[in-house]
Amino acid sequence: MNSRLLITLTAAVLLGGVAVGYTALSGATSEDAAQSVPTGAGPRLMVLSNGKLSTVSRQNPAGSREITEQRCDRVYSAAGTISCLRPVGALKAGELAVLDNQLKELRTVPLTGFPNRTRVSASGRMVAWTLFVDGHSYAANGFSTSTGILDTRTGTLVQSLEEFAVEGMPQRPVDTNYWGVTFTADDNRFYATMSTGGHRYLIEGDFAARRLKPLTDQDNVECPSLSPDGTRIAYKAAVNGDPQQGWRVSVLDLATKQITPLAETRSVDDQPAWVDDKTVAYGIQRDDGLNDVWAVPADGTGTPAILVPEASSPAPIS
Amino acid sequence: MQRRRAPLAVLTTVVVTAATLTASTTAQAATTTFTPTADTYVDNAATGTNYGTSGQLGIDNSSTKRTFLKFSVSGLTESVSSAKLRIHTDDVADAQSPNGGTFRSMSNVSWTETGVTWNNQPAIDGATLGSLGAVVRNAWYEVDVTSYVTGNGTFSIGVTSSNSDGADYDSRESGSTTAPQLVITSGTTPPPGDPVFVGAGDIADSGSGDTATAALLDNIQGTVWTTGDNVYPDGTASQFNTYYEPTWGRHKARTRPSPGNHDYHTSGATGYYNYFGAQAGPSGRGYYSYDLGNWHIVSLNSNISMSAGSAQEQWLRQDLAANTKPCTAAYWHHPLFTSGANHAPSTATRPLFQALYDANADVVLFGHNHHYERFAPQNPSGGLDTARGIRTFVAGMGGAGAYSFGTIKPNSEARNTGTRGVLKLTLHSNSFDWQFVPEAGKTYTDSGTTNCH
Repeated sequence: MNSRLLITLTAAVLLGGVAVGYTALSGATSEDAAQSVPTGAGPRLMVLSNGKLSTVSRQNPAGSREITEQRCDRVYSAAGTISCLRPVGALKAGELAVLDNQLKELRTVPLTGFPNRTRVSASGRMVAWTLFVDGHSYAANGFSTSTGILDTRTGTLVQSLEEFAVEGMPQRPVDTNYWGVTFTADDNRFYATMSTGGHRYLIEGDFAARRLKPLTDQDNVECPSLSPDGTRIAYKAAVNGDPQQGWRVSVLDLATKQITPLAETRSVDDQPAWVDDKTVAYGIQRDDGLNDVWAVPADGTGTPAILVPEASSPAPIS
Repeated sequence: MQRRRAPLAVLTTVVVTAATLTASTTAQAATTTFTPTADTYVDNAATGTNYGTSGQLGIDNSSTKRTFLKFSVSGLTESVSSAKLRIHTDDVADAQSPNGGTFRSMSNVSWTETGVTWNNQPAIDGATLGSLGAVVRNAWYEVDVTSYVTGNGTFSIGVTSSNSDGADYDSRESGSTTAPQLVITSGTTPPPGDPVFVGAGDIADSGSGDTATAALLDNIQGTVWTTGDNVYPDGTASQFNTYYEPTWGRHKARTRPSPGNHDYHTSGATGYYNYFGAQAGPSGRGYYSYDLGNWHIVSLNSNISMSAGSAQEQWLRQDLAANTKPCTAAYWHHPLFTSGANHAPSTATRPLFQALYDANADVVLFGHNHHYERFAPQNPSGGLDTARGIRTFVAGMGGAGAYSFGTIKPNSEARNTGTRGVLKLTLHSNSFDWQFVPEAGKTYTDSGTTNCH
């Protein structure tokens, strides 16, 4: 045996050892399955399988899937940070759990209400959530929401965007509701929806300045989702401005203000997620309460297709 | 070995043909074929992996693979005379096996096709229905499951193998010509005449849903129940007269209502009590009981105190203690068990449910979330309880705008949103049948039978 061969063999053994460790980490045993995000060859999509955090291959998203025992009513992930809105338990209220990609709990925030939306900034630093809440007297015939943001680097917690000042509104109307935050790349500015007086405006927020700016030329923008390149917002637009008629998933070009309705003509009640700069994904519920994740081109062409059957809350992960 | 297996496949085909002939030549018998609503397998070599979308179903003892099948049987109007599970081996190398597996019934019928993994698999905990010996590839096999599938309802079957040379069957995703089948032959009509108990909640508003569901009542005799939110938005006298009276009001004389939170938007729910009068029990109290055939029925009020020791809870315990009927039903507005996305489970109702559970009650009906959901018999904590558990329904499909579902809760067995309808119970001497009756033009239905405790 010459020395060159020996080195090659040693390298092979070392690589084999790495591979074994990698497999163990990926959830080969019952306990590991609840303690790490399953990974595999190539990029994946995180989804919920009826409330259980799961991943599928982005190359074959309708194939077999890895399912953990981590329960979330809504989930999103970016750059190794997972935001999981945990359900109300028998003896425990709901909460936001910020997890790393080993499913290690980094921070929890107790929350009251029904989990609805969550987002993580592309860097993994900023986390936002929206819940439906009962008990606001002005909401007797409508609904009420609660939207908060956590800066995971500094620990700064904003329980409700209602704490922020609104430009042009020294007295914030009592019927104001916020929902559906999406972050820009600077981990400070964000977009969201503000509802008041029967209108649903796109707002631009400044986290450090604790200030919200209604973009009143963009009415009827709900649950915005900023594209990876930062140029467009995918959102749900109430049909004829009336949510009772359902929502059309649409894309707003931030520079030209041009609005493109996407090829999905069924009502979409979800915060869309960008799989890449060309593709928008969203959940649609069946009559039996199960959801499918669908995808459609972001430029208005093509036809919608099921991306992940019997799943919800999609997030692309690497 | 191949030569010895081949005749088995031929024999199986002959048996199936004979069964088909028997069914088609017997005047009274009808044959209905169901394909699974879910089928998948788990593998202890990949404990966190779900194979729900695969075209194959595996059983093996090394690595251990187990197969799960679920069928929803509905629309049967006559009793089951035979039920056969038919399953087809995959047309691939190594699909054959010396052991075709052991088939057992399962109490868990709420697992989902894309949720089951080795780690969270439901227990295969029921009676052995049958076993198959050696199986060859690309052939049909049959297991008699008549002892398990006795009528309408949801049924789970688990398949295991003790042989390390496993078998591979075709799943429902393989296509209609090879998907598993449940072939049911039914005949002989059961005796009619038992009391009918029909209703819904979340009923009358300015829309047309209440008209559609009231039209169903026109053709269904019996006692009408309501699970609250009888009229929107505020339960005023004017709204009762404008929205409820022209629709469900046609059946007021046979209606035994319960109040919801919208009825209580009017202080003290005076609109509700004045409209229904003595039909709603003592005015202002909102809880009362009555008997129908062999059944004791309790209408309760989830808008007032329900805590242990409260007047209502104490009354309920005394009422149940005095009851001599073998079967008991109860209904109120706020659901203790629901997968709805709009209203979370109302844990404040648990003391009422506990009192009913302590008294061996059989069924509880709710409203509040505007859709239909059926749960397996559960204890007050929401655990599956096939011995003493109470079957529950959310029947909020009486007319108001439909709500969606959130994460589906454990033991939820059937759901629909978007179809308005009524839930019809037939109260037999020691059991009840349930049937979801959809509005005209819709097709969703759900039916089954549960025995009294």
